[in-house]
This record gives sequence, structure tokens and C-alpha cells, in this order.
Amino acid sequence: MKRFLGILLSLLLVCSAFSFASAEGADVPAFDSFELGKDYTDLTAKIKWLTHRTDLVDNGAITQYVAEFNKVYPNITVEVEGITDFAQESLIRLTGSDDWGDVMGIPAVELSELSTYFAPYGTLEAMKDTYNFIDNKQFEGVVYGVPTTGNANGIVYNKAVFAAAGITELPKTPDQFIAALQAIKDKTDAIPLYTNYAAGWTMGAWDSYLPASVGDADFSNNNFLHAKDPFSATTDGTGPYAVYKILYDATAKGLIEDDYTTTDWEGCKPMINNGQIGCMVLGSWAFSQMRDAVGGEHPEDVGYMPFPVTAPDGKQYAPSGADYCYGINCKVDASRQTAAMVFVKWMTYESNFAYNEGGIPIVKTGNYPDLYSSFGDCDFLVQNVAAEGEDSLKDEMNAESTLMIDNGGNEKVQKIVEHGFNGDMSFDDIMNSWNELWSDAQESLGVAVR
Amino acid sequence: MGVEKSARDYILKFFKHLSLIVASALCVLPVVSCVFAAFKTKEEFAATSKMALPQDWGHLDNFINFWNDSGIGLGFLTSIFVMIVVITLSVMMGSMLAYVLNRFKFRGNALIRNLFLYAALFPTILLQVTVYKLMIQMHLVDSLIGYIILQTGTDVIAIYILLQYFENLSVSLDESAVLEGCTYFGVFFKILLPLLRPAIVTCMILKGVGIYNEYYNASLYLQSKNKYKTVSTALYNYLGPTKSQYEIICAGVLICIVPILIIFLVFQKQVYSGMTNGAVKG
Amino acid sequence: MSSNSGAAALKESGSFRAWLIKPNVQKWLVIITFAIVPVILLLLFIYYPIGKMVEFSLYNMSYTKVKGFVGLKNYIDIFAKPELFQTFRVSLYYMVGAIVQIALALYFATILSFKTKFTGVYKAAMFFPYLVNGIALGFIFKFFYTRGYVLDTVLTAFGIPLESLPYWLRDQSINNWSLVATSLWKYMGQNMVLFSGAIMSVDPTLYEAASIDGANKWHQFRYIILPSISTVLTLNVILSITGSLSAFEPPYVITSMGGNGTATYFIKMHETAHTLHKVGLASAMAVVLITIIILCTIIQKLVFKYAFRNSGTDSAKTKMKRKQFSKGVN
Repeated sequence: MKRFLGILLSLLLVCSAFSFASAEGADVPAFDSFELGKDYTDLTAKIKWLTHRTDLVDNGAITQYVAEFNKVYPNITVEVEGITDFAQESLIRLTGSDDWGDVMGIPAVELSELSTYFAPYGTLEAMKDTYNFIDNKQFEGVVYGVPTTGNANGIVYNKAVFAAAGITELPKTPDQFIAALQAIKDKTDAIPLYTNYAAGWTMGAWDSYLPASVGDADFSNNNFLHAKDPFSATTDGTGPYAVYKILYDATAKGLIEDDYTTTDWEGCKPMINNGQIGCMVLGSWAFSQMRDAVGGEHPEDVGYMPFPVTAPDGKQYAPSGADYCYGINCKVDASRQTAAMVFVKWMTYESNFAYNEGGIPIVKTGNYPDLYSSFGDCDFLVQNVAAEGEDSLKDEMNAESTLMIDNGGNEKVQKIVEHGFNGDMSFDDIMNSWNELWSDAQESLGVAVR
Repeated sequence: MGVEKSARDYILKFFKHLSLIVASALCVLPVVSCVFAAFKTKEEFAATSKMALPQDWGHLDNFINFWNDSGIGLGFLTSIFVMIVVITLSVMMGSMLAYVLNRFKFRGNALIRNLFLYAALFPTILLQVTVYKLMIQMHLVDSLIGYIILQTGTDVIAIYILLQYFENLSVSLDESAVLEGCTYFGVFFKILLPLLRPAIVTCMILKGVGIYNEYYNASLYLQSKNKYKTVSTALYNYLGPTKSQYEIICAGVLICIVPILIIFLVFQKQVYSGMTNGAVKG
Repeated sequence: MSSNSGAAALKESGSFRAWLIKPNVQKWLVIITFAIVPVILLLLFIYYPIGKMVEFSLYNMSYTKVKGFVGLKNYIDIFAKPELFQTFRVSLYYMVGAIVQIALALYFATILSFKTKFTGVYKAAMFFPYLVNGIALGFIFKFFYTRGYVLDTVLTAFGIPLESLPYWLRDQSINNWSLVATSLWKYMGQNMVLFSGAIMSVDPTLYEAASIDGANKWHQFRYIILPSISTVLTLNVILSITGSLSAFEPPYVITSMGGNGTATYFIKMHETAHTLHKVGLASAMAVVLITIIILCTIIQKLVFKYAFRNSGTDSAKTKMKRKQFSKGVN
């Protein structure tokens, strides 16, 4: 017994002795302070990368990237773990232990907490002219995340299905879009709009279309937070109201899949490829996955189009922004942090990842893929960072209102589908309840409403 | 009158058997449907009725694919390892504590009993918010040792079963041994421990089933899913929320439940008596 | 036995052993060495967290940061925010399911306690779902309930047209019942085995005596069986109710983390703690749940005490205490 007790206690001691020496401020280089292929080529380290792209882990693409990286940095071993429900799981990992790994796509932590978990890359001031979307994960002028790729948010659609339904011109307004979906339902066997309700995170993506409905670069992080009743009804098909109304109307009119609770994320990829689905509301990152889906026989039919709302200025916009950003664990030793820094830089400059994934390049001099050809005169719309001193305001508004706009707010969007289907709450009532949540949050946080 | 009575009896009997058959069928049906699906090819699954027999009972691809891709083999090893360690620890701790509480009068005896009693009142899973923070502070998250300590520490069932059992062990055994010069330690290890076998079997069954099927803590505390897998987490992470190839899902489900089913069928009597001992006797 | 003599004994190295085997010393040595680990674990993993939980519930905090003392705001939020409060409603479904489950278990335990053919087969068939892994159960029933799959196939085979069947997981009027049924599927047989264990401990001569007195099966049930299992019955009612408030796996797997209005209180709490990182609010939710469970337990005990007050000469109280410990079974 005594011996057993001894063993148990010593185990506890040993475990707690592993308080990981954190290397804050030690010799971890800034992102722009070293040259790829020249510096650190003899660095030996073992790092672990947690990624949400399980599809690329499964098809071996990630292994390819790592192999290419190892040609230049042979002594840095990169272990990759793909996580299926990344948005949730990564948050749990982050809090669970200091040694969760080295690189992960930064999940929905509040900006003010970025420095608790992640190593700084450099200042926003120094980096903003070289990289796109570098301000996505910054707090008080320090950058904690480099985007994996940039997205322009539109709609993935099947050209053949649209043609079969007699749609010759891509819809530009909600009304035209609903009419197009109706035509698909009437004239083809395809599911007009596949919601991907069950996967959850796919629904949160609806938030990212809000800027297109207002055409304002100061919307998401600024004006929206101060707006009075931003979800109020509009009649001209603009504003946040119009964005979510598309989903409600499509559901209410039976233009979505038969049983939304059993949608199948992996299964939807070959389906849209083969023309069993008309369209899906997903960022540009989804395009290549749909086109290259295993079991898909018509990759040439997969197309990408702007989201069908028009801003008050009469123009169509493609809201664009960062995809997941690489964050580097700041709680492991300096050599691992350095190796992680080198790896992220290599992925950004050398891997061609953004291009391969149909994304907007992160390095401003990079190439654009051609999937945006149908965007014509539709402009990319990038959101400005929050006004000075308001870096945390959006997080606070989200937490207080529980709407979680742009930050894992799947649930409220799923509710739109549920209410649309059951008809137990009108769309205006839903939007009014959101307005109420928003005003209450503004009031309790003392936000100036203008 | 005799005729009348037997007619009524007959009807009652009919309903009795009908209810038994319907209930048993409903219990078995979901699993049977999985068996059918697991032996089908993808095309066959899509094309045939879900309750149709598979064309080829020798079609094992789904099982093989699941086994190879999910890491369930490691899951079995981990689960069995955790099971052995946790059961050993719980039984040792439980029997020692039960011995002390049952055989000695001392200040605090009633207090300790009551502490365990009230701890059993609510599901310990509810404490996970703060337990998780505690585990973080002790650096026991993402470690097998942490999971084992947690599984041992948060479940008081073994202690209670053993406490019950001790009450049925005659004190005269101890007394005669002490008269012969045996120490209390000697009494416990040499005399009483061997007598605890039936209670230990009960603990093994209850805790064994519990650990084999445990998902929540395994998923929360064994975070590096490449490194640590239990049966439940391997199953969930492979099939996940995003896949719906049911022929493979069903094969995975069967791989997980068949071992425990076989053990149940072989040790049926012990399982039932273990269940009831754990709850009824006393 | 003073400490002096102990210390003196220690000096003479030869008699340390003599001191050690003195009954009183030995007694405390045994008590301490044998009890210390389980008691420490109990305090560490049960009582310390409860205390901390109450403390956390008064703060606005994440796992890494305390953002400020908020008093009772977290508690107010639980009842004021509809998306949290409505999960209680979902738990009610599970409670109703728990009652049905116990009634069915009682029924089958009773009829299987009378002579019946194939008792072993029936018992095994109803019990084995209890052994099915909760995650596996989730997948089994996702498959079972999907439109046009197992359940629909079986029902259409009985002549019910598919069009008249509901979508078991989509329709919010029914989907919680679908999930509750899975937990009934899992636990009914286990409850039955527990009940029949208790019934079998009834002295068989009681039945004979009763039938001589002209008692029918119902009377036997009401006056012999029911009183004899009252403790185990009470226990299982309590456990089923507490279990229904903390139901997790069915909505977690079958409806992807409790989508479509199926999130139970526990699912919401998990999400609040681990994905929203609102540790304070989640702690408050746990405190509320524990309070509810304690209240339920007290109420049930009172009710059952009243219901069975005329029956049983057994020392029900001491038995009851002991019974509660087997809750880990569920």
C-alpha cells in the first residue's frame, strides 16, 4: 500500500514538474526577420500542426507539402493531425495543455486572449503592406496569425444544373436568386440549395456575406457594432436582413434538401460535382474541394459566383478575408517556436497553398487563381480593423449578445432553417429578436449607438 | 366458471408473450440492421432495402477498412490497459477503505462514509468544468496517467460495493487471526482480501463496462487523438460528425460492440448477479 | 499511550517494532494508510471542484483569465436567456422517458418473475443494449432513424405508407422523443434486471400464502412485489431523473451536438465551458443542476416514503442510504 501510495504521489509530482518552460521574448525570430532557405536550415526540431483540412490529410496533399518543406529543412519534423470538428476541438486543445502542438489554425478565441496562447509574428504596421488580411488576428497592433489563404465569399454552384433550369444570367438580387432556386426545383432533379445544416460550422459562414449587403469596408469591425437595429427589415434587398432572408425563404419554400438534419458534409462534395445539388453557400475555399471531390465526374461543371445581394450603392461585392490563420504556440521552447515560424513562412511563401486552394494570395505579390472569372465587375471587399481602442469590442458584443457574428455563430443560423421549416416564427420576428439582443448588448456594454 | 377463468388466463398469457416478443424484437432490431448493412458493398447498400439480407456474407471490406483506418486496434489496447489499471486501483483502494470503515471505530468514520454517500448522489460528470481546470493545473490533461487517475478518483461505486460486502464478512475471522498474532495488515491481505472475490467480480463487471464504453472524459482528457485512442474515441473520431457511409459506420459499430457481447453471453450469470449485487443486495 | 512513550520506544531501535505492533498504533497506521488515498481523491475530484464551482459561478472568467466579479449575473442569465432556459424543457422529455422506462422495466421484471418459457432469451435480449457503447448507440440510431432507412422500412413493411411517417430527427414535434427512445432502449433492460433481482429475493411462500387467501396477480404485485422492491425502485427513479438532466450521448452523436432543438442542459453546459470558454456561466449552470438534482432527490424520497409507509418491516432507511451508492451503475 505504502509503495503504491508512493508511486502515485511521485507520479503526481513528476507530472506537475513538467511545467513547461515558456520562452516568451526569447530568441524566436519575427516573421520578416529571416530568409527562407538560408536561415535556420540546420535547425533540428519536431513540431506538430493541427489542421482542420482533414480532406487534405486524407488525400495525402499535406504530406506532399511537408515533404517539399523537408527538402529545404530536413531536420524539422512536422507531424500533422487533422481534426474533424476543428472549430470546437481546437478550443478544447488550446486550454487543455500547454503542449498541444506547435501550429494550429487560430480558432474563435477572443482577440484580447491571443497573446496568452500564440507567439507574435511582428507588428501590424510593419507587415500590413506585404501581406493580405494580416490584420485578421491582431490585437493592439501585434500580429498573432498569418492567414493560410484568403477567401472571397460567394456561392459554389453547378453550371450544368443552372443551365438545365434555364438560368442564363447569374442572379444578382435575393429575389432573382430565389426564383433561380425555384426554377431548379421545377425543372431538374437537383436539390436547389444544400444547407449543410448538420455540419454546423458550415452555417456560421452565412455571417461572412453581411459586408456585401452594405458595401462598407468599415462594417464588420466598426459601424456594425455601433449600428442601431442592424437586422431591421429592408425592402430593397440590401442589408443583413436580406442575407439571412434568403436562407429563410429558401427553407420555407422547400428549396433546400428534404431532411436538413441528416446533411452529409463529405457526401455533398461529389453530389454538387455530379449535379445532384444546385448550389451551396460556402466561401471560395470550398470550390477546389467540390471540384476535386472523389467520386465527382464533372469537375468542369463546378463554378463560383458572387453572393446575390446588391449593396445600397447598386454594386455587388465579394466580401473577402482571411481563412484560418496559423497561430504558433507560445508556450513551448524557443527552438520549436522558431521551427514553427519557419514552417509557417514556408507555407506562406513557397507552398503555393493559397493558390492551390483557390484562395486569394497572402503575399500581396502572389497569383490569383482563375475561379473568380465569373465575378466580373464584382469587387473584393476587405474589412478594416476596429477603431483604436475597440479591438475587443466585437468579441464583447458577440459574447454579450450571444449572436457570435463571424465567430462560430452557427446556432443562430441553424435556427433560421428550423423556423423557416416549421413556420413557428416569422423571419421578421427572428430579426427583431436579434435586434433586441444587439441593443441589449450595446446598452450593457455602454456602446455608443450612431 | 373454470372455463371462463382459463379463457381469461389464455388471453392474458397471449398478451404477456406478445409484449415480451415485441420488446425483445425492438431491442435486437437496431443491431441486426447494422449487421445487415455492414456486409454490403457501397452500391448494394444504396440500392437495396435497409432490412434486406446482404448478398454476400463474406464481404468483409467494410470491417477491414474500418480496422485499418480508424486505429481501433490501439483503442482496444488502451481501453483494456486503462480498464486493468483502474479496476486494480479501485478494488485495492475500495477494499482497503471498506476494511477500515467497517472494522474500526474511530472519529471521522461516519464523516468519511457520509462524504462518499453524498458524492454518489449526483453524476460526477457535472463537475467537469472545474475538474477540467484542476486537471490543467496539475498538467494531467492529454496524459494517460491523468485519465487513469480521473477514472479512479471520480467513481465511488467500487468503494461502496466493497463496503456492502464487508458487512457480510464475519468479524470472528479477524479476531481469531489477531489472537494468533497477525497484524491488521496481515488480516487484511492474508485473510480478508481472498474472501472478496465475488465483490471484486462485481466491480470488474460494473467498472469494466463503464470504462469500455466511456467517451466523455476520454475525449476531453486524451486530446492528442493520434497518440491516444480508446474504443469510443477511435469510433467517434473515425466516423465523426461528417461522414455518413453507413455500411462502414455499421461495421465499426459492430467491431466495438461484439467483444463485449460475447463476454456477456459467456458470463451471463455473473453479469446479472454482478449488476444486482451492485444495487440490490445489502 | 502517550507520545512520550512512543518517542522513547523509537530511541531503542529494537523496540520500534514492538511499538509498531501495539494495537492502537497499528490501528491508526492502518486507518491512515488505507484511507488516505481514496479520501484525498474524493476531496480532490469531488468536493474541491464543487467548492470551486460555486466560486467560479460568481465570476466572468475563461480558463485563462478572470474578467471580473459579477455576483449573481450568471445565475440570472441562465433563467433569463431563452436559449439556455429552454434546455430544461428538453430535459423534461428525458424525465418522462425515464418514468416510462421504469414502468416498462417493472412490468417485464414482474412477468418474468412468474414462470415463463424462454425467460433467459428475453432477459438477455432486453439487457444487452445496456452494454452497447454510447457512441456506437448514437451511430446505430442515426442509421435507424434516417429517412427511408431501418425504422421506416420496418414500418412500411407493416403497411404504413412512408408518406404518413414523420421525419424522426427533423420534425421538432417528435425528434426529442426519438432521442429519448434511444436512452430507454439502453437502460430499460438494465432496470429490469435490477428489479427482477429484487423480486427474486422475495420469499416464494408469500405468493402461495397469498393465493390461498385468494389474491390475484395484481394483488401479488401490489402487496408483495412492490413493497419488497420499494428501495431499489426509489433509487432507480432518482437515478433516472438525474440521468435525464445530464443526458449527453444521444444528442451529441445523433443530432450533431444537439442541433434542431435537441440540446440538453448538459450539452449546453459543455458548449458554454469548452467552446465559448465561459467558465463562470458554465459553473453556474452546474450549480443550478446539482441543486435541482438534490431537490428532486429529496422530493422523491418524501413521496416514496409516503407511498410505502405502510409496507415493509425492513430497515428501509439504512438500506436506502446504501442503495444510493450503486448509482454508478447507470
